[in-house]
Amino acid sequence: MNPNSHISYLEATARRRIAGLLDPGTFHEFIPPTLKRVSPHLGLFDAPVAFDDGAIIGDGKLDGKDVYVFAQEGKFRGGSLGEVHSAKITGLLRRAAQRKPAAVIGLFDSGGVRLEEANAGEIGATEIIRGIFDAQKAGVPVIGLLGGGTGCFGGAGITSCCCDALIASEEGRLSVSGPEVIETVMGVEAFDSRDRALVWRTTGGKNRFLFGTVAELVDDHIPAFRSAVIGAMTAQKPLRVADLKQDLERLKKRIEAYGECSDATQIWQKMGLDAENVAAMSSQELKAEKEHIVKI
Amino acid sequence: MKLQDLLSQLFTEGSNIVTTDWLVTGDATVAGKPISILGTTNHTFIGVREVVVLSEKFLDIVERFPGRPILMLVDNNGQRMALDEELLVLPEYIANLLKAEQVARLAGCKLIAIVYGNTVAGGFIGFGMGADRVVSVPGGETSVMKLEAISRVTKMPLEKLQALAAKVSVFAPGSENFYKMGGIYEMWTDQFPNRLQHLVGSDISKDLRVQLGHERGGREAAQAIIEDVLQS
Repeated sequence: MNPNSHISYLEATARRRIAGLLDPGTFHEFIPPTLKRVSPHLGLFDAPVAFDDGAIIGDGKLDGKDVYVFAQEGKFRGGSLGEVHSAKITGLLRRAAQRKPAAVIGLFDSGGVRLEEANAGEIGATEIIRGIFDAQKAGVPVIGLLGGGTGCFGGAGITSCCCDALIASEEGRLSVSGPEVIETVMGVEAFDSRDRALVWRTTGGKNRFLFGTVAELVDDHIPAFRSAVIGAMTAQKPLRVADLKQDLERLKKRIEAYGECSDATQIWQKMGLDAENVAAMSSQELKAEKEHIVKI
Repeated sequence: MKLQDLLSQLFTEGSNIVTTDWLVTGDATVAGKPISILGTTNHTFIGVREVVVLSEKFLDIVERFPGRPILMLVDNNGQRMALDEELLVLPEYIANLLKAEQVARLAGCKLIAIVYGNTVAGGFIGFGMGADRVVSVPGGETSVMKLEAISRVTKMPLEKLQALAAKVSVFAPGSENFYKMGGIYEMWTDQFPNRLQHLVGSDISKDLRVQLGHERGGREAAQAIIEDVLQS
């Protein structure tokens, strides 16, 4: 394989992402699709099922270290959180708290709670969050990746922000209410979800990186994600009141500085960036620019 | 039920509670011991500004009263659904609140949430479901999305959703459904002080929701999946 060739994370399946992220041939899947543990609920809605319910979990090696991985398959029902899907991820995190791998890596690609299993999915999201906290308490860092085609919304979006570090490409979108949901519930004047540029600059990885929500911005290239995860595996924030207070100060300042902004371009301008050019910048260029701006 | 009715039925040993148009703070005595109270009211939306206040209160309580139980009074209409909220990265704010709840747990504070009003989607995830135990009282209504909105988003006919909602607990709004799925620990209808006293005095550190969902027939797959992963 030519090391310079571009391997899109965005376009890859969840399984392909895992294979490219870990040391070659080391992934071992728990509850593989051959066991056919499908959703017990989707049939009620005459909806198709998947043998992995859109969640792939297992262990493997990364840079020679033992890691656990979960990956959401955005191409199956938007990577949504159903009962089985959530339970697989919760199980993996509880196992991590017991057996202490070097890290848990979460490949988020999810529209959020699966509406056909809304209650199971919402409770499931909070069980995953508790699982992340319990793994962190056991000293295991949880690293989240955002770069899939579905994005990371709703309960999945909140969950991802509970990770120790987030790594994203500019294609990785993150928010609670997705543009389509805001448009459906609040009207097209509140958020025009067909305006792709608006969606990207509001929820995309660049905005999230400039605010510091995302620790590392990478190009849409699986080996780039791999290098960034290896670099982040030591990053571990112990949950302490003092750190959370500091974090909260940062979040308060963000509201004070940008709370009146209605578009990301206004924020970028205020930060001192050439706002019109942010969309065209590579991740390297934006990282270099970020060094010179007001950091909030 | 109304906040004032809840408070008067809940605290028979005395309480000191301050209420604004959306925020409830204070303390009360339960079984002769103090507990901290933090809640919301008037079906508030949970946006970045509300989260900042709630997180700050949580951290303040943890610093001043480590180990003291915290009672969360839950009433919200969900996350504030707006472009400018998402522009500022609302999920990061809600995660900060969840971390504040976790840091309280690590400091030995038992977290008990009482759903007495509405609680919806991201609002419930951020403030409510992060507790060690979630209970409901009459009038407490949990939901992810109304059936009308589910119908619009999934393109499934509303009539079909309504018919299914009468049969299964997995997707439709309602505390009873959340109870069956294990998301609500108990549904209280009477004797609030005794029930609260019992919870405050119990070991509530273990997350039992998967197990309860299984026992109550709402979630029949999750428990076996988790056990299999632990033994893989």
